Amino acid sequence: MLYLASLLPLAAIYGILVIGLNVQCGVTGILNFTYITFVAIGAYVTGVLTMGAPANAQTYILGAHLPFLVALVIGGLAAAALGAVVSFTVLRRLRSDYLAIVTIGAGQIVYTIIGNETGVFNGWNGIFGIPVPVSMSLSPIMQQLAFGGITILILAAVFFAAQRIQYSPLGRVLRAIRDDEGVTEAYGRDTFRMKLLAFLIGCFVAGIGGGLLGEYATAYAPSAFLPGETFILWAALLIGGVANNWGALLGALIVPIGFAEVTRFLPDFGNPTLIESLRGVAIGLLIILAPAFLPKGLIRERLAKDRAQSRVTAPTEEETSHA
Amino acid sequence: MSILMLSIGFGLVTASVLAIAGVGLSLQFGVTNFVNFAYGDYATLGAYIALVANEHGLNIYVSMLIAGIVVAIFSALVNRLVFKRFIDKRVKLVILLVVTIGVSLVIEYALQSIFGAQFQSYTITSPTPMQIGPFLLTTGQIAIIGIAVLCMVGVHLMLSRTRVGKAMRAMSDNPALAEASGIDTLRITDLTWLVVGFLAGIAGVVLAMNTSTFTPLLGSFFLMLLFAVVILGGIGKPYGAMLGALVIGVVTEVAGAYINAAYQDAIAFLIMILLLLLRPQGLFSSRGRA
Repeated sequence: MLYLASLLPLAAIYGILVIGLNVQCGVTGILNFTYITFVAIGAYVTGVLTMGAPANAQTYILGAHLPFLVALVIGGLAAAALGAVVSFTVLRRLRSDYLAIVTIGAGQIVYTIIGNETGVFNGWNGIFGIPVPVSMSLSPIMQQLAFGGITILILAAVFFAAQRIQYSPLGRVLRAIRDDEGVTEAYGRDTFRMKLLAFLIGCFVAGIGGGLLGEYATAYAPSAFLPGETFILWAALLIGGVANNWGALLGALIVPIGFAEVTRFLPDFGNPTLIESLRGVAIGLLIILAPAFLPKGLIRERLAKDRAQSRVTAPTEEETSHA
Repeated sequence: MSILMLSIGFGLVTASVLAIAGVGLSLQFGVTNFVNFAYGDYATLGAYIALVANEHGLNIYVSMLIAGIVVAIFSALVNRLVFKRFIDKRVKLVILLVVTIGVSLVIEYALQSIFGAQFQSYTITSPTPMQIGPFLLTTGQIAIIGIAVLCMVGVHLMLSRTRVGKAMRAMSDNPALAEASGIDTLRITDLTWLVVGFLAGIAGVVLAMNTSTFTPLLGSFFLMLLFAVVILGGIGKPYGAMLGALVIGVVTEVAGAYINAAYQDAIAFLIMILLLLLRPQGLFSSRGRA
């Protein structure tokens, strides 16, 4: 029962993370192969801002006792700030393979610095003892349910905002950039600014999700943001449905939650890392097979013509905006 | 013996490892026009195949040759069974990249499920450091430099003296024109993947010899350094990759000796990112492809 309750916040957090990735990659088509780095910044900053002054042989910057929501927002802003630095390379009009390489390179630099500079976020050992924002007097199950409630509220807010963005005029421009940046620019849109905006929003959401993830785990260390973690989220997005927030939620339930669920109950056999390794193989296969057999994911993108059909009587957004 | 000379010597060894793999990565990019994110794992696969051969009592250099051949066939098969299907369907470049990541994960974790995550190493006769000019190198390290020279000469002769090499360069310059000129692009692509896989397999073994211990993650960290090499030389340009390997190999080792060895790779990435911002066509190339 406790285990099931503990899945609730985790599912909501992964939902937030996949939606953030969807804003960047699914909607706008920015190839971010180091999304997890922004999650990590959120987790670290939120963590140190709620843990107070360094203790227990840990060393880190910014130690404070801020209220959890304030710390969470600052964590998100910190991730967005890193995003702003990275964006100067990422949003240039380079071919997407170059961009992918640059994002991974930038992620590796951040990883190396955080790991080696023990003064920043306690180096390779990571920070531990991040307080969970629920009363300690509750029973363990109630704690998980309460934290689950908080994460679901935040997920709902993120989901609502992402929906608003995606089906607004801004979202239309973002999708146009993804489909043909040159044409969008020819129509007079400042594509750099639009891409920057989408990238920063995605990084902010990653930071929020990361802050919650740190609180859920009560600890965060560099081993939690290896490049492979990003691809678990990519797999979730590809399976669930690119450029569809419902699909992103479904993908988050299937890949990170579903896999953790299924593999946890397998009996141990072979070498100690075998189950984890086979999970990695399965995620790799998902990433290869999903674009081959489910090119649009389980829930496909809602295109303008679908919405036009579902609301024949009312004028569609497209028609009103052209009028 | 100054630290500078010592680190330049190690830099030459690192450069040799990077050159073997970098030339392969660059050649494949030139001919097929997409980056293969599983390339580092082809090298890891080579390292583990040589490990199995080595454990069966074969000499490390014979094991290396076997690894090269097996990875060559593997690389051609992956192209036929996976990449080619997506290319034929004309999927977006983004999707193709994500698929190569999928292949990378499958290789990496398949190796981890077979061999476990623990450190492995080859049985090689104990290294004897030798003084060569201003450098102090072990016999193994000298062998690595020798193998790299052999591979570079081989690639150079193939590209400049054979019809296949000429066809590869033609496809790299303009695939549509190459096809219109009667080049069997399917066959040349297959041959490219064979050559590239061979180089990756060899590179994986020399990399594992150079680092002395390795895990299934060997290639994925190595790949980022390779990107720095290839981008420095101008992506898709095998000769540029040779120079890029020399620069990255020596700079990272020297910087590592003077700053902090932990930041070696980070320095290479920084060079790569700055270069992409300032000179995306590569340091040694006149015109860009980006």
